[in-house]
Amino acid sequence: MKNDRPTGDIATALSLVTGATILGGIVLACRKPHVPVKKPQATVAAARRLNRAAGTLAASVLIDSAIEHYRGNFHNKAMITPLVTASLSLAASLHGTADSKGEAHVIRDLIYAGAGLTGLVGTGFHIFNISKKPGGLSWQNLFYSAPLGAPAAISLSGMLGFLSERLRDSHPDMPPKILGIPAGRVIGVMTSLGLMGTVAESGLLHFRGAYHNPAMYLPVTMPPVAAALLGASALGPIRRHGRLTRWWLRATALLGFAGTGFHAVGVARGMGGWRNWRQNLVDGPPIPAPPSFTGLAMAGLAALALLEDHPDD
Amino acid sequence: MSADPFLSDPFAAPRAIGGRAPDVMKAGGWLPMKQHDNNEEVDFVVIGTGAGGGPLIARLAEQGFSVIGFDAGAYFRPLEDFASDEIEQQKLYWLDERIIDGANPIRMGGKNSGKAVGGSTVHFAMVSLRFRPEWFKSHSLLGYGADWPLDWREMWDYYARAEKALSISGPVRYPWGPKRPRYPYRAHELNGAAEILARGAEAMGYQWTATPLATVSAPHGDSPPCVYRGFCRFGCSTNAKQSQLVTFIPRGIAAGAEIRDLAMVGRIETGPDGRATGVHYHREGRWRFQKARNVIVAGYAIETPRLLLASANDRYPDGLANSSGLVGKNLMTQSNQAVFGVMDKEVRWNKGPPSLSITEHWNYEDRKDFHGGYCWMAQGPLPVEWATIVAGSRKRWGAPLREEMMRYNHQVGLKMVGEMLPDERNRVTLTDEVDQYGLRIPRITYSWGDNDKALIQHALGEMERSLDLVGAKDIFRQEDDTNHLAGTARMGSDARSSVVNADCRSWDIPNLWICDGSIFPTMGGVNPSLTITAISLRTADRIKALAKRGEL
Ligand SMILES: Cc1cc2nc3c(=O)[nH]c(=O)nc-3n(C[C@H](O)[C@H](O)[C@H](O)COP(=O)(O)OP(=O)(O)OC[C@H]3O[C@@H](n4cnc5c(N)ncnc54)[C@H](O)[C@@H]3O)c2cc1C
Ligand code: SF4
Repeated sequence: MKNDRPTGDIATALSLVTGATILGGIVLACRKPHVPVKKPQATVAAARRLNRAAGTLAASVLIDSAIEHYRGNFHNKAMITPLVTASLSLAASLHGTADSKGEAHVIRDLIYAGAGLTGLVGTGFHIFNISKKPGGLSWQNLFYSAPLGAPAAISLSGMLGFLSERLRDSHPDMPPKILGIPAGRVIGVMTSLGLMGTVAESGLLHFRGAYHNPAMYLPVTMPPVAAALLGASALGPIRRHGRLTRWWLRATALLGFAGTGFHAVGVARGMGGWRNWRQNLVDGPPIPAPPSFTGLAMAGLAALALLEDHPDD
Repeated sequence: MSADPFLSDPFAAPRAIGGRAPDVMKAGGWLPMKQHDNNEEVDFVVIGTGAGGGPLIARLAEQGFSVIGFDAGAYFRPLEDFASDEIEQQKLYWLDERIIDGANPIRMGGKNSGKAVGGSTVHFAMVSLRFRPEWFKSHSLLGYGADWPLDWREMWDYYARAEKALSISGPVRYPWGPKRPRYPYRAHELNGAAEILARGAEAMGYQWTATPLATVSAPHGDSPPCVYRGFCRFGCSTNAKQSQLVTFIPRGIAAGAEIRDLAMVGRIETGPDGRATGVHYHREGRWRFQKARNVIVAGYAIETPRLLLASANDRYPDGLANSSGLVGKNLMTQSNQAVFGVMDKEVRWNKGPPSLSITEHWNYEDRKDFHGGYCWMAQGPLPVEWATIVAGSRKRWGAPLREEMMRYNHQVGLKMVGEMLPDERNRVTLTDEVDQYGLRIPRITYSWGDNDKALIQHALGEMERSLDLVGAKDIFRQEDDTNHLAGTARMGSDARSSVVNADCRSWDIPNLWICDGSIFPTMGGVNPSLTITAISLRTADRIKALAKRGEL
């Protein structure tokens, strides 16, 4: 669908975001690093798991937005943004996953903060875009206009990565904390909210598809339970449902991959099936989208591990 | 292409024959089909397989009746037979000779009649709307036309069933009329033309919505979702469109119904007791006779009265079911005028189904000085059709025509579907000329009344205002178009003023039924097919109930 918004204002906004990110990065870079001491292995391990989660999300967003914005012909220059941010976030996550050092990395920090911010701004743009359409905030526009969930996902990837850096950066002799709150709890709550957001997005799009296949109910039934269990663990006593939560998160992670399979089957149901992949890949259900559940479930597992390693109740 | 070269031409020979019928969902595929002998007295013969005939064929077969559906048209395989070519696809139209006259003769053919298994729904525009409830009692509630013998609440229920059976893709909330259940599929994405209608309506302070359409927005069975190429009115080659050909007809065959394609019914026979005994039909080069216990006519508003009139005999000298003298009378069409303009930015109006958005404002607003209502919808004529409009209505030719065509992608338009009032002078009669089957050709007489003209002018003014408000330039009015047909065998609550009763059963001959667009007493201001289908589903239920009581 066309849109005739001048690109000027976007360019301004983008430069503001970039500026803010760079400034933030400089501040982070100038801060006095903690003395590099041996961190409890578990904390670094959790940080790396978060990197992996952030990377999975970034990969999902990267491929998805590449396809979607290719479909939209990149008619607006800002449509290249998620490709750049998601690529960077993916690269930072790969780097972080391989990095066993117990301290934050300036460039990764910079990238993650940037991704977090860009995602937020992107969501803002997408909302603005919808508000300009006839019908405003209507089902029709929520179905077919720029999706709110996509930029939010890149934001989540950035935030998870950013938190992973905070983990590495935590005080060596104390349980990791973020803003004075036990890190496991912060990450748990955020992941739980992220899961709910992703559920909302897939619920909306599956509603658009009229739930024509019963499997389409899976992403609106399984992950909410995972989110609730994780949220309960993050906000309350953790030990009670630890096992159940872990298994449910694992199942949710699997569901993300299974979703890709289901979507591949969905693509086959377009006119001409996979033989007509150039059209159906673009117009059919998004194959790269479901693994964002996997990414979030991985983050949830990391949070759970932190909660169990550093029980505070 | 079909594996069997002999079958590559749908007109060369019947395809539904030899115990099988084409499986329209699979290239070269076949469905097993039950067949009946001409001498076997089947429970029902249905003449016409369109919006009215299709659901009856399926539902009656599903109830265990033996049913044969006849259609003069071919049994197309959309995946193989449909070309992306406006001219080639005229093969879907009923183009047999007809004589038209009156002050405003109706141009017959592609705009109003199909000839195919699936009827006009094979090339219809898929707009699937419900009547405004008051229209079922327009005479008593709104002061014009005639009352229907049906209750809108019961119809609301059958509309819902029709929408479900046709997997209608519609908006989550429909802005007008009483509450309706959620459409089975979500509305389609708006195209550029549909957005312009929406902006115009918003500027006027009118409500608008995505149009409920009979093409799926997500996979359904073997139907892939719509691919938005916009060939809908020339036959959908993907089977996203939920025409009778891909919905009720295969359902009917699966339930044991037989379809006879390329089979033109020329005459309904009646016996000494005055009841119908079967039909004479032309297939594979000769006339045949099929015995039947009941005959249902569903050939649409021209062919239905033509067949009833042509079946006149000593006992029924004025034609069958015509004791009221109303067979052929009260023909109605719908005003289909349009306003077109040009936008600065590209619109690409031909992408997607042609009528993706709609405003029914003037169907539900009674503060106006004429009777009846109308809606308007976004437009997207394909190039040949557009050139015809520009040449015909705008009288552009040569270089100016070429120039107009160069602006094709910037063109926008709004087209109305307006209610025309019933008038006995608008009618179908028989001439003495005969067609290729040796059957008498119908004469179609039509003149607009003063109310019709007032409604059209009102609509043109409103559509023009809407285009003006969104900045369209070089606006022009297409004043001469009409589309859907109805009337000519109206239903009613007594035998003197109508042809059939609420069950679509003729007053005169208890085993002769008429169930298609011709039973409409009034036209309403929305496209008719969903109403026809809903009534057809109701009739099937009524037949079941009557059969149970031994009243068939
Ligand atoms: C281009 C176009 C667009 C349309 N768009 C819409 C739309 O968007 N929405 C909507 O609601 N309506 C639309 N319509 C109208 C709709 O298609 C018709 O109102 C509806 O199909 C009529 O149903 P019916 O059963 O009365 O007749 P039809 O569907 O026309 O079926 C009649 C069938 O009977 C057959 N037949 C007739 N006489 C004989 C005979 N003697 N022997 C054997 N067979 C016979 C014909 O071949 C035909 O196949 C459109 C129509 C056209 C032409
Ligand atoms: S636009 Fe959709 S319904 Fe129309 S012909 Fe194409 S696929 Fe069929």
